[in-house]
Amino acid sequence: MANSESLDNVVLELRRGVIVLAVLSQLSEKQYGYSLLKLLSDQGLEVDQGTLYPLLRRLETQGLLESVWKLEEARPRRYYVISAEGKKLLPKLKKEWAGIVSVMKKMLA
Amino acid sequence: MKLINRYVTEVGKRLPLVKGRKDIENELRSTLEDMLEDRTQKSDKPADEAMEVDLLKEYGSPQKVAETYNPTPYLIGPRMFPMFIMILKIVIAAVTLGMTIVTAIQVVTLSPMTGMELLKVIGEGLLNIVSASIAAFGNIALVFALIERFAPASEFKLDEDEKWDPTSLMKEPEPEDIKAWEQILAIVFTFIVISIFNFNPQIIGINYMTGNEWKAIPILSEAFFRWLPLMNIAWVAEILLNGMLLRAGKWQISSGLFSIAIKVFQIVIGYFLLTGPSIITVTAESLKAIEGFDAEAAQILGTMAQQGTQGIIALVMFLIAIDIIKSVVKMFRQKTSM
Repeated sequence: MANSESLDNVVLELRRGVIVLAVLSQLSEKQYGYSLLKLLSDQGLEVDQGTLYPLLRRLETQGLLESVWKLEEARPRRYYVISAEGKKLLPKLKKEWAGIVSVMKKMLA
Repeated sequence: MKLINRYVTEVGKRLPLVKGRKDIENELRSTLEDMLEDRTQKSDKPADEAMEVDLLKEYGSPQKVAETYNPTPYLIGPRMFPMFIMILKIVIAAVTLGMTIVTAIQVVTLSPMTGMELLKVIGEGLLNIVSASIAAFGNIALVFALIERFAPASEFKLDEDEKWDPTSLMKEPEPEDIKAWEQILAIVFTFIVISIFNFNPQIIGINYMTGNEWKAIPILSEAFFRWLPLMNIAWVAEILLNGMLLRAGKWQISSGLFSIAIKVFQIVIGYFLLTGPSIITVTAESLKAIEGFDAEAAQILGTMAQQGTQGIIALVMFLIAIDIIKSVVKMFRQKTSM
């Protein structure tokens, strides 16, 4: 019981670390929260809504995302897209990620 | 959709009062509607209440959802906690010391007391310490909680990490490193001394009962109080020095010189006290005047009090002089090693 709980916690921490990079990488085109959630899920990254929505707001506050409300199908939706600042940051984050992956591969081999 | 609207309102009530709260509510509503639509398409059934219930149950309680948006879940967060604990320790120690001194003064001034009266005074003193400590804790926690809530980390630079230089570990630990609590205790103690000598000098005296009447003999003579202004200057200078050390966190040449100056001044005061008229009123004559005091005992005690006082002043002057020599030698050593 305690073991599976620890495993869940560690997996959660691992995922949390990559979500920012995953979100920024998928927002070159406008997405609203739920569509982004599905987009990530379709590619194999399951993210909890309770994690994604506050993260989107935080990234917007940090200036890495921009958002706009649009009325679609009689329903207002908030669309997010990567900002100029986010675009500058993304390649650097990708490079960092590549570095981490190569180091961990060596370590775990 | 009724349930979704109510759910969103419930989440909204629990959100922090920040800009964009309405935005969060709208986004949540839109997401839940999208999710519901998704489910109706998959199940090929129109949305009903049972489907909404399932969806909301999966999404989580309004409290849990609101918590994910709450940027400050701490009353006092990790960045402030070490300082909170440090200030708390200092203040509680000062409050305990202050209240203990007040209780001790009460015991002395109200003596002689019956055992019950003594217990009552001590009991009240303990209760005062407990209630004052709880009040101090509450006030400090309140101030820190307000700072935590309203001062963003960037505006409140408690993070000294950037300034920290690992090479500081290479230096031998210096015994004269300043401990903040020592300086603060010294300041509190000096304040207490100043207030007693200036505003409540009657505390320092012998209180006794003859018949049903309380009598008080002041111990300190007028000659002592003539030098009080000079002593006040020395005490205020001590407080300034403690403040300087507290701010700098270490001894510097300026604080070293200031400390030596204060000590020289204290020796001068000591000289005046020693060579002038006696600073205490306890003499063989004054003791003989007390009803029922044995004449021979009065003679011995009076002489002891007079000579003892002079001896203590001379000893203190001697110790201060040694301290000055030590300080000067240390300063010269540091200068030559620099």
